[in-house]
Amino acid sequence: MLLKSSGNWLRFSAALFAILTATLSASAQQLKGKVVDSANSAMPLIGANVVWQGTGIGTATDASGGFVLQKQDALTQAVIVTYIGYEPDTIQVAGKETVTIPLTATGALKEVVVEGQQARYSSLTPTNSQIITSRDLEKSACCNLAESFETNASVEVSTTDAVSGAKQIQMLGLDGSYTLLTTDNVPTLRGLATPYRLNYLSGTYIESIDIIKGTGSVLNGYESVSGQVNVLLKDPAKAERLYVNLYGNSLARLDANVNVATNLGKKWSTILMLHTDHLGNRVDRNKDGFMDLSLGTQYNVFNKWKYQNEAVVSEFGVGALRETKVGGQLGFDEDVPQEQQLSYGTRSETDRVSAYNKTSYTFPGKPYQSIGAITSVEHHLFDSAYGLRNYDGEQNSASARLIFQSIIGHTGHTYKAGLSYNYDSYSETLTDSTFGRTERVPGAFVEYIYNNSGNLTVVAGSRLDFHNLYGTVFTPRLNVKFDATKNTIFRLAAGKGFRVANPIAENTAVLVSSRAIQFNEDLQPEKAWNLGGSLTHYFEFGGRPGTFVTDYYYTTFQNQVVADMYSAPQKVQFYNLRGRSFSKSFQAELQYEVAKGLDVKAAYKYFDVKATYSGQLVQKPMIPEHRFFVNLGFATPFDKWRADLTTQYFGLMPLAPMEGAQGGGMHTSDKFLTTNAQITRAFKRWEVYIGGENLFNYRQPNPIVGAADPFGPGFDASMVWGPITGRVLYTGLRFKID
Amino acid sequence: MTKVKMLLVSMLVALVSMSASAQTQGKKQETVQFKTSAVCDMCKKTLEKAMAYEKGVKSSSLDVDSKVLTVVFDSRKTSVDNVRKAVTETGYDADGKPADERAYNRLDDCCKKGAH
Repeated sequence: MLLKSSGNWLRFSAALFAILTATLSASAQQLKGKVVDSANSAMPLIGANVVWQGTGIGTATDASGGFVLQKQDALTQAVIVTYIGYEPDTIQVAGKETVTIPLTATGALKEVVVEGQQARYSSLTPTNSQIITSRDLEKSACCNLAESFETNASVEVSTTDAVSGAKQIQMLGLDGSYTLLTTDNVPTLRGLATPYRLNYLSGTYIESIDIIKGTGSVLNGYESVSGQVNVLLKDPAKAERLYVNLYGNSLARLDANVNVATNLGKKWSTILMLHTDHLGNRVDRNKDGFMDLSLGTQYNVFNKWKYQNEAVVSEFGVGALRETKVGGQLGFDEDVPQEQQLSYGTRSETDRVSAYNKTSYTFPGKPYQSIGAITSVEHHLFDSAYGLRNYDGEQNSASARLIFQSIIGHTGHTYKAGLSYNYDSYSETLTDSTFGRTERVPGAFVEYIYNNSGNLTVVAGSRLDFHNLYGTVFTPRLNVKFDATKNTIFRLAAGKGFRVANPIAENTAVLVSSRAIQFNEDLQPEKAWNLGGSLTHYFEFGGRPGTFVTDYYYTTFQNQVVADMYSAPQKVQFYNLRGRSFSKSFQAELQYEVAKGLDVKAAYKYFDVKATYSGQLVQKPMIPEHRFFVNLGFATPFDKWRADLTTQYFGLMPLAPMEGAQGGGMHTSDKFLTTNAQITRAFKRWEVYIGGENLFNYRQPNPIVGAADPFGPGFDASMVWGPITGRVLYTGLRFKID
Repeated sequence: MTKVKMLLVSMLVALVSMSASAQTQGKKQETVQFKTSAVCDMCKKTLEKAMAYEKGVKSSSLDVDSKVLTVVFDSRKTSVDNVRKAVTETGYDADGKPADERAYNRLDDCCKKGAH
């Protein structure tokens, strides 16, 4: 008995000793520190993020500005410290156990904390965000926004119809119109500009792209349902002095881009960005008598200015573009009126002018307190014809926002509050009917950010808008980020979205068919709730870092404008949702550096998207249930050679019952793969690239239903679920002077 | 169509042969050291990458603690002046020669002189 207990005691003390030594040696393996304001070192910065450089592993400072990091987590002996309203800093900590880090306040209102150089899956933002860096952008073909998403798994790009070849993004299995598109955090290309909007931003204008899944901040309005894509345009103060990009592909499409940037004195800088593209070659590889891709010419110019002085930062941008497109049968002559020729064709002409300003002022001695004003105006005009149907439209929009940001007591509690006003005037003419509306929406919003300076961030926001046509709109949003461990981060997003649909502009595909367009009733605004969560896990395996991200989002519509092409033949009916409409999306993504310079990204996606068409809840056509995505990226030291390979697998998609089809049973698309590859060789100022899209040349069989008789009742080019053009090879060069 | 394919293939061939010819030259190596204004690991990456693209430079290495950049180069293809100029054009001082202002402004915030 006694012996036994003393044996126990011995074991116990041995265990205690082991624990003690473990803790002692652990404390020697820790880095302790404090983050303070550089102007006043007595002021601790609470909730500042401290992360080991090159990893996502880190912590936030506590109520006294202190933090503790484990040295075993370090990749290099340096930490990156970031804090709202302060310049981020990198600190060398080799051989140090305690460190005091002074941060310097910036003058700028930084709405987007994450920028180019960082990890693709941020460990800092409260939302589930991914970043497409400028290096990623160079991996895909030139030169518009649609192609920028080729190496990213979260955003899909699909073709809207088989005649125009217009591309649309999808997120969470929902149409692109449910994703808010912003440039430098200013909403843009909304409303009637939606159908071809991805063509209107050249890839060479872009510094990086942030993709936020799920509902985000209320600051940018009530429209986002599935997420936000924020495009950061090149910074005039930091962009290359001269950047030229020339591109040509095997369909004979040519692209030319020139950016010129300069400083004007100490405070001003400007960048002028030019883009033009042209496709004049009629290609019909699938021999259906129709051009596989519409012809087109675009001229696009953007000029951005930046003013930076101690407390005031201001940015101005002005853009203009003109685009003409011609599609349809090979023999279509766009100079002859449709009534006077036998060939079917589509043509469009778009003119667009936009301008914006962002100005922020930071209060002296109070780096956490600032006031910002964001204003923008847009004019969008188009004139188009689809066969015998004419569709013209004009949109004039203006918006203004005022945002005040400060703290409650200390920086653990911050808030943003403000006022907004949106004006949108729409007028559209479809064949003989004219319709339009003017929206005037004043609103107010507030967002509160709680940071427990350890592992929890809560962003709770709501906005109240007073719509002149649809009454009071209340939009609550919530984002929670919880760091279960320093490597494992949970995020939750919940919120409401509201938008007024533009049924024709968002469904231009139906214009390329012989379907009669029928409005069954007055259409109401769309309302949806989105709820979702994600898990991000950073790991190290065999000495190399990796990331695993998985997420699930559920979107349910209270009202939706249904474009029903399935209930009645030769018709598209628009009506308000009666019944359910929802999207469930699951994604799991793994990114890992397999060998030095060789990066692998693999993703699996599952979508369950259903909507009620005339009382029947059915799987939404042309959305695959299963998708795989694999991206291999290889780079030699200093990026002298870079190679990239992306393969996507699309599972079976349900298709709408086809006119005259046997039995009326379920019919589906093929399963197919698309593979893109690119090789880049870099020299001091030159880069040359060569690549291919859809290398295995998969094409959707018969993308145009009734192609033989385009003026007959069975014609429909809107049933597109796969690639139309087949393999495209391209080459190009970039020239840069820093 | 076939013309475009031919063009693509010949461009690839040209790329490969360019990189091959760069390796068959004779050697006349010199080593030079500069005191720079580089302050962090990010600077080390930026500078060493810039040097790697400089004509005639064989290798380079920055010691972050002493801020000394060591460059090995082929004296028949470039000179000490050229290499020093390449350092200042990347945004760093070299042996007292000031950095190019715009290049300096382009550097990441952590690479600025007052940052540490």
